[in-house]
Amino acid sequence: MLSRDSKLINVGIAEISISKSPNLLRTTLGSCIGIVLYQPDSKIGAISHIMLAKDLMGKDKIKFPGKYAETAIPKLIKAFEDEGAKPGTYSARIFGGSSMFKNISSQFLQNIGENNITFVKEELANRKIPLIVEDVGGHEGRTITLYLDDGRILLKKAGMEKYLYKVR
Amino acid sequence: MKDQIDALLNDVKKLPPMSNVVVRIMSLVQKPDVSINEVATEISKDPSITASIIKLSNSSYYRASKPVRTVSESLMTLGLDTVKEIIMLSASKAVLQKDLKGYQLEADEMWMHSLVVAELSARIIALKKLPIPKDLAFTSGLLHDIGKVILTQFFPGKILNIRDELKNMETTFTEVEKKHFGYDHQEIGLKVLTAWNFPDELKEVVSCHHNPELAHKFPILTSVVHIANTITVISGIGIDIGGINQELSPFALKQVGMTDKDIEALFTSIPEIQKQLLDLHRG
Repeated sequence: MLSRDSKLINVGIAEISISKSPNLLRTTLGSCIGIVLYQPDSKIGAISHIMLAKDLMGKDKIKFPGKYAETAIPKLIKAFEDEGAKPGTYSARIFGGSSMFKNISSQFLQNIGENNITFVKEELANRKIPLIVEDVGGHEGRTITLYLDDGRILLKKAGMEKYLYKVR
Repeated sequence: MKDQIDALLNDVKKLPPMSNVVVRIMSLVQKPDVSINEVATEISKDPSITASIIKLSNSSYYRASKPVRTVSESLMTLGLDTVKEIIMLSASKAVLQKDLKGYQLEADEMWMHSLVVAELSARIIALKKLPIPKDLAFTSGLLHDIGKVILTQFFPGKILNIRDELKNMETTFTEVEKKHFGYDHQEIGLKVLTAWNFPDELKEVVSCHHNPELAHKFPILTSVVHIANTITVISGIGIDIGGINQELSPFALKQVGMTDKDIEALFTSIPEIQKQLLDLHRG
């Protein structure tokens, strides 16, 4: 349900969005990963929609830090903490990272999902941000909606939808 | 189920409508000696197409070198091929920007998916210097999923079976469609374009974009759209109930000469491509 005062914000590919209750953040994912941060007391939340783990050429990430997990995660955390979320008081949830059904013809496309999952998990662990919920891998597309009033997430995939209420 | 779909396909009135003017223009521009005046006169018979040609000619995507005020000016500034592309763009929007509930896809996502596949197809042509006109690649990419617009309405009766199928994930999603509906969205798309008398190139792309090795007349063009579509789905743009439940054809990569580096370059440029297409997305 969308109340009259709440705004639905679509987070596009390679974007980082931060907002607070009663707004909603939404994004659709294939092999990309949606990294969700939520601070349950101040009801601030963020989604970073990363495409790839790293920029191997090293130039694109300077112009578009939101595309690559290696540059997006520090940017996300800094922006989230600048909004008032104190370190140690929030946790992360991750979604996406699907891979192709069958594919031996492009190593690059085949590995995106798995590489993204591994790298994002490592980065969150290195930064001691607890990962409390994940729905990653497989071949499905996913649409996630983060309700900032209580932090729940509506996850839609493969013709099903369910709410995930765990926020701490 | 197949009987119901057959009944619908055989009733032209139930298929998405395509302006007669667009159909006439599409056959007119096939003539090698067509004059700009003839085309302009035909276009002027459809006020809404006329309005969108002028509007889109002035958009940041097409960037006419000077302001365009009439269809003739558009034809003279941008050229016949680009105007043809703009006509297809505005005619397709009315048909493709639809909520596809069965596929779990909203109208804006479906339209953005179609635009991104169109643009990636055009970029692949340019990147690999293929002898295919840009507007043909763009239009083929734009229309590739048109069959979904029809097939979506039959999902409610089959959704439980389809969900089960998706759990096991042993076949591609087009095979799931075929199993439960008797047709996949490629075959339905072919029927729609046939009803509209659209050119053979577009018909083959629409009917073979998941199986480019079956494209006997236009294998390169079909392969281009196949690759563009696969990259777009993996990026999540317009990803539907079928997920990434499809394959990337080695045949297509060979036809086009695509390397992993080419794929990576196109994939990572998608956010910029999307921004460039915003003008067209809003229409």
